[in-house]
Amino acid sequence: MTRLLDIGLQRITNLIMDMGHLSVDLVNSALESYDKGIMLRPQIFEGSEKLRFLQMEVTDFATELIARYQPVARDLRLIQSFMDAAYGFSRFGRYAYDIAEVLETIGPFPDCDKSQVTTMAKTVKEMIELSVTSLEKLDKNASQKLYMMDDSVDSVFRNYLKKAITQTKKRNFEPKCYVSSLLILRYLERISDHACYIGDCVHYVVTGDPSPRR
Amino acid sequence: MAIEEPIEDKEEAVQQTAERYKVRIEKVNGWYGSKRAIRDVNLNVKEKTVTAFIGPSGCGKTTLLRCLNRMHEMTPGAHADGRVVVDGIDIYDKSIDPVIIRRRIGMVFQKPNPFPTMSIFDNVSAGLRLNGMNNKTIIREIVEESLRNAALWDEVKNDLDNPGMSLSGGQQQRLCIARALAMQPEVLLMDEPTSSLDPIGSSKIEELVRVLKDNVTIIIVTHNMQQAARVSDFTAFMYLGDLIEYGSTNQIFMNPEKELTERYISGKFG
Ligand SMILES: Nc1ncnc2c1ncn2[C@@H]1O[C@H](COP(=O)(O)OP(=O)(O)O)[C@@H](O)[C@H]1O
Ligand SMILES: [Mg+2]
Repeated sequence: MTRLLDIGLQRITNLIMDMGHLSVDLVNSALESYDKGIMLRPQIFEGSEKLRFLQMEVTDFATELIARYQPVARDLRLIQSFMDAAYGFSRFGRYAYDIAEVLETIGPFPDCDKSQVTTMAKTVKEMIELSVTSLEKLDKNASQKLYMMDDSVDSVFRNYLKKAITQTKKRNFEPKCYVSSLLILRYLERISDHACYIGDCVHYVVTGDPSPRR
Repeated sequence: MAIEEPIEDKEEAVQQTAERYKVRIEKVNGWYGSKRAIRDVNLNVKEKTVTAFIGPSGCGKTTLLRCLNRMHEMTPGAHADGRVVVDGIDIYDKSIDPVIIRRRIGMVFQKPNPFPTMSIFDNVSAGLRLNGMNNKTIIREIVEESLRNAALWDEVKNDLDNPGMSLSGGQQQRLCIARALAMQPEVLLMDEPTSSLDPIGSSKIEELVRVLKDNVTIIIVTHNMQQAARVSDFTAFMYLGDLIEYGSTNQIFMNPEKELTERYISGKFG
């Protein structure tokens, strides 16, 4: 027998997966625009706004499901987690926009060394995709992997900060390159954190334990 | 391994652990003739908390509840075994008078059942008089206090001589609660007390349960998971006569341990 609640859960799952895929696309385009110097700010803004509206839709719908069906146990954890994940995806969109804005404000950066950003971007893209599929498949083990990747992201960021301080004393220092890399690394580091939170949510849905790392 | 403090006085240690629980249910079986309706139930109930019994109908909630004040054995052919320890005293001990037990452990039933021929006042005072109390002033005081505690006083204070049956269903149920409270019970058993009430009547009873638990230990049977979640601190899930899972209501509600509990509370049965 299908419960009425299941129909609602399916709909909210579809919404959240749409958000997940859109947020992956946005971060990918933002990084590509930085890499290739293509201005995509308006398009990314539009996508980020769309994510924001979808997030509100998820929250409204989740509230309605809770009020109407009074779900418990795993059903309730699922709805709670969808709300949290929706917030996470909307943040991905927002940081994608921030990345695009760096290019528009102080770019382009044809002669900057982008290797640090490229390295971190590769990991972070994987993390976003993993966070989306973990939610799709309710894979509780993703959170472990995400935290390991997050550790490497954090260390890249920290090392860059330290290195940048010493670099600024050198003569051929280019502030534009330094500032853009630093900002983008920072946004990527934030995205990485949010990907971990989404992994936490999935872990919570499946096990009932909200904090897998600690 | 954790290092534990040595227990000097074993007797005292046992006593102290026991005292944290108002009611201890130990290996209780409830029988109707040769049919065993509840099986080896073990459960500890903390003082001044609300415990909910939930489970599909026929799983033995009422039977278990009625074993807790020796009402079960009043059904012809029915008996119980095991121990029910209230404040350290086994209520099934041979030396114990079941009448006294039922006075200390009050009960409210599924359908409000005021004494049909009695006034509101007499409904509440009947038990007192039956127990030999005849000081009119004290009776009046207790009736008023009980009706106040049952959140009914303001609605009936000018009509105390009207028949109990003249009240609405929800008011009748609160009258029955007042009747139980007049005996100043330490434990109050409630068997689906809102099942015949409308939403307003039900929510009044639920509010009352929350207030009463400051003074009384309450065990409530309900078929409504949401009601259990609203009013109780602990929840016991029963199925086919077995106690399947028992824990804080929050844990049972958010993260039940057993698959069966999960399936029942989220409506995935059948
Ligand atoms: N008076 C009775 N005589 C025989 N069997 C009974 C009697 N009352 C209840 N039962 C049986 O005992 C089991 C538990 O019943 P009960 O405690 O009333 O369940 P619940 O309150 O959970 O609905 C059921 O199988 C029921 O049919
Ligand atoms: Mg019953």
